[in-house]
Amino acid sequence: MGSVLRLVLDTLKPHEPSIIELAQSISDLPGVDSVNISIYEIDRKVENAKITVEGPDIQFSALKSLLQDLGGSIHSIDEAVAGKTIIDDASTLQD
Amino acid sequence: MNPLRNLIHRLQRYNQIASIGEIARRYFAMNAFDGVLTIIGVLMGSYTAGVEEARIVISTGMATSVAMGISGLWGAYLTEAAERKRSLTELEGYTLTDLNDTSLGEASRAAVVIVALVDGLSPFLAALVVLTPFFFPQFFPNPRWIYITAIGLALLALFGLGVFLGRISRRNILGYGLRTIVAGIISIVISLLLGSSP
Repeated sequence: MGSVLRLVLDTLKPHEPSIIELAQSISDLPGVDSVNISIYEIDRKVENAKITVEGPDIQFSALKSLLQDLGGSIHSIDEAVAGKTIIDDASTLQD
Repeated sequence: MNPLRNLIHRLQRYNQIASIGEIARRYFAMNAFDGVLTIIGVLMGSYTAGVEEARIVISTGMATSVAMGISGLWGAYLTEAAERKRSLTELEGYTLTDLNDTSLGEASRAAVVIVALVDGLSPFLAALVVLTPFFFPQFFPNPRWIYITAIGLALLALFGLGVFLGRISRRNILGYGLRTIVAGIISIVISLLLGSSP
């Protein structure tokens, strides 16, 4: 099976730990090269974060466990890229 | 990683999650202040009652310190546990997950223990420092000097606490130090007046 090279997740997380610490923790996972987290909605106790992870062999189960351990939950997997190289989605007439 | 570094790393992580440092600092200052003022009361009471035996002052002071320590430990444990539990349950309502076995749950439980320890130990240790001269009566010419040294230590401890608070607020350090000393002086004066009244 091909390696997962990129994942884009829609998550819900508590304010603490902050996205800086969360990004650092995710980047420490094996098979992860880089992480991008952006907050797009803030509530009183939680915030919605879009997490983009790239690396040569991302282990989704490890990523999911880490997020859950820090009190977060995955709402949806919005993008998954696997194989030898990263490709972006092709544009269609509907776009 | 060696166990000590591992522990420090975990505590730092818990602190990031549960903001333990801030509340522990508050409890430390508040309760150490409480401890010093209470022991000033014990000392002034003993002094005005004419107690000259260091052993009696030590046993009264130690009993008071232990009681303050247990009161702080117990009170903070129960209060903090209730508050942290409530906060975690509230968060669980938002995330719709069980957070007990997560790092958040662990950090929350660690926060309770650390804050309770700080709350219990700070008045106990502060009071113990003030009582130190009574453990070495042989170094003083008479009991009056032991009292004077202990009260001096108490005022110094109060000043130290004021400086600590001043550093936290990043404002007038000396001003804070003097304000905490004034509390000690007021306590001493009132105790003396009460003790000298028939």
